[in-house]
Amino acid sequence: MEDLKRRKRLRHSLIALFTVIIFILPFIITNNYYRSVLVIIGIYTTVVVGLCLLMGYAGQISLGHAGFYGLGAYVSGVLTSTYDVSPWIAILLGAVGTGLVAYIIGIPIFRLQGHYLALATLGLGLIIHVVMMEEVDITGGPSGLTKSIPYLSIGRFELNTDFKYYFLVWIVALAAIILANNVVHSRIGRALRSVHGSEFAAQSLGVDTGKYKLQVFTLSAIYASVAGSLYAHYITFISPSPFGLMTSIQFLVMAVVGGLASIWGPIFGVTAITLLTEGLKYIVPKMIPQAGGEYEIVVYGVILVIIMIFLPEGITSGIVNIYEGWRHRKELADVTSGDK
Amino acid sequence: MSLLEISNLTKSFGGILAVNEVSFSVNNGEIIAVIGPNGAGKTTLFNLMTGIYQPTGGQVLFNGNNIIGMSAHRIAGLGIARTFQNLQIFNNMTVLENVMVGRHTKSKTGLLGAIFPISRVQREEREIVEKAMKKLTLVGLANKAMVGADNLPYGRQKMLEISRAIALEPELLLLDEPAAGLNSTETRKLVKIIYKLRDQGVTIILVEHDMETVMEIADRLVVLNFGNKLAEGTPVEIQNNQEVIAAYLGEEDLVC
Ligand SMILES: Nc1ncnc2c1ncn2[C@@H]1O[C@H](COP(=O)(O)OP(=O)(O)O)[C@@H](O)[C@H]1O
Ligand SMILES: [Mg+2]
Repeated sequence: MEDLKRRKRLRHSLIALFTVIIFILPFIITNNYYRSVLVIIGIYTTVVVGLCLLMGYAGQISLGHAGFYGLGAYVSGVLTSTYDVSPWIAILLGAVGTGLVAYIIGIPIFRLQGHYLALATLGLGLIIHVVMMEEVDITGGPSGLTKSIPYLSIGRFELNTDFKYYFLVWIVALAAIILANNVVHSRIGRALRSVHGSEFAAQSLGVDTGKYKLQVFTLSAIYASVAGSLYAHYITFISPSPFGLMTSIQFLVMAVVGGLASIWGPIFGVTAITLLTEGLKYIVPKMIPQAGGEYEIVVYGVILVIIMIFLPEGITSGIVNIYEGWRHRKELADVTSGDK
Repeated sequence: MSLLEISNLTKSFGGILAVNEVSFSVNNGEIIAVIGPNGAGKTTLFNLMTGIYQPTGGQVLFNGNNIIGMSAHRIAGLGIARTFQNLQIFNNMTVLENVMVGRHTKSKTGLLGAIFPISRVQREEREIVEKAMKKLTLVGLANKAMVGADNLPYGRQKMLEISRAIALEPELLLLDEPAAGLNSTETRKLVKIIYKLRDQGVTIILVEHDMETVMEIADRLVVLNFGNKLAEGTPVEIQNNQEVIAAYLGEEDLVC
C-alpha cells in the first residue's frame, strides 16, 4: 500500500514540476516565433493525449482525428464569426457535437470485434473535409471563412497575443493530461488495460469491453474538438487545409513517436515532430530548392519505420527502458561486488 | 430450487460434438467435480456456462434465469466467476491490479467519475484496494501485491487467478483444473482455500484430474466422456460405477 501511495506521490510531483516549467518558459523565451511554436505544441498535445488514450487503452487507431479537430475549429469559427455566439459557448457546443458524432459512428464499430475503426475514421475524416470544401455558404469553401474569428477573452481581458494565449492553451493541455491520467488510473483504465492482458479474462470478470472503448473514443474526439476550437481562436482564420488526412497522419506519428505507455509521451512526440517539421521547413528549401510540401510525408514515413524498429514503445518508453536496463546492471554490479 | 440447472446442453464445433445433451443441476453450497479424459468437453462446458461460447442447443438456468445468449460480462455480473485451464493472467498489470479488476462488477465508477475523481470515487477506489488485498491474503499472495503478475511462478499465478475470481464475490465459482501443475504442498493449500470458500457460501464446480483430491473434496461428481454425461453421483457411487471404471480402464488414477 505504501508503494502505491509513493508511486502516486511521484506522479503528482512530476506533474507539478512540469507545470512550473511550463509557466516559466514563456518568460524565458521572448521570441514571438518560438512562442507561437509553443502555442501550437500545446494545442497539438491536447489532441495527441486523447489519441494516445484511444490507441493505448482501446487498442484502436484513428485516421480521422484531424476531422474532429476540424469540427471543433469550424463550429467555433462559424458560430462566433457568422452568428455572434459567445466563443466559450461555441467551444462547448463544438465539443458536445463532435462527441456525439464520434459516439454515433462508434456504436456499430465497437459492437463488432475487429479493427474497423481506422477505416471508419479515415472515411469520416474525408467526409468532414469534403463538407468543409463544398458547403461554401457556411464554411466559405476551400478559401476558408470570410469573416474573421474573434479572439477569446476572459471578461474584458482579450487573449490577443502569443504570450497571453500560451497560458490558456497550456492550461487546457495540462488539464487534458491530468484528466487522461485520472482515467488511466481509474476503474475504467484498469478495465481497458485488462482487455490487453486477456480479453477472455476481462469479460469473464464483467468488463464490457466495447462500452469502454467507445467511451474512450468519444473522449478523444472531444479532446480534438476543444483543441480545434483553440486553434481557430488563435489563428482567427480557418480554411480546410489544416484538417485533412495529412494532419491525421501527423497526429498519429506524434502519438507513436511519444509512445503510448506514459502520460509524458504526447508532449515528447508532439514537440519532437513539431520541431522537426519547423526545422525541415527552414532547411529543405535551402538544400533542395525545387522541393514541394510532399517531403513531409516521406519524412513521417521514415520516422515511423525507424521508431517501429528501434523504439517500438515510443521515445518515452525507450528512454525509461534504457534507464531501467542501466539501473538493473548497476544493481547487479552492486550485488556481485557485495559478494567479495 | 437449485442454483444451477443445466439441461440438454449441446455444443458442436463443425462435426465434433464437444458437449452432447448434458444435463445436471447444482445446489447451493455444493462442491461438484466434473471429471473425464482429455477432450471430454469439460472446458467447453465451462465456456458455455460463462458466455464465452454460445451453445448449439440446451439451457442453463442460474437462479432460475436462462443465461444462454447473455454476453460473458453480463453473466459475470450475475455472480458466476471462473478460472482458466490455460492461465489468463493480466501480464501487463501488477498482482494487486489483477485482483482489482475482479472488483469490476462490484464497483460503479463511470467515465465521468474516472475523469473527475470526486471523493465518492476515491472512496470506492480505496474500497477496491482493501477488498482486493483481502482476497490476496486469503490465497497467501498479499506480500506480492505490487509485483508484476508475470513475475509470479506458475503455482502462484494459479492462486492469483482464484483470488481474482473470488474478488467478484461470486455465488458460483468455476475452477478449471486448479491443481494441475501444483506440487503437493500447494495442492493442500488449494484444498484448504476451496473449503474456506465453501464455508463462506460459495458454490463450486471444479474440473480436476487429481482423483485423490477430487474424491476427497467433491460432494458429487459428473463424469463426461466424448461430450456425453457418463455418470453422476457421490464419490463412492462413481468409484463403483462399472461404466466409469470401463471408460477409465487402465487408468490407475481412479483406484485410490
Ligand atoms: N474453439 C474450439 N474449436 C474447435 N474445437 C474445439 C474448440 N474448443 C474445444 N474444441 C474441441 O472440443 C472437444 C472438447 O474440448 P475441451 O472442452 O477442451 O475438453 P476437456 O476440457 O475436457 O479436455 C475437443 O475435441 C476439442 O478439440
Ligand atoms: Mg479442459
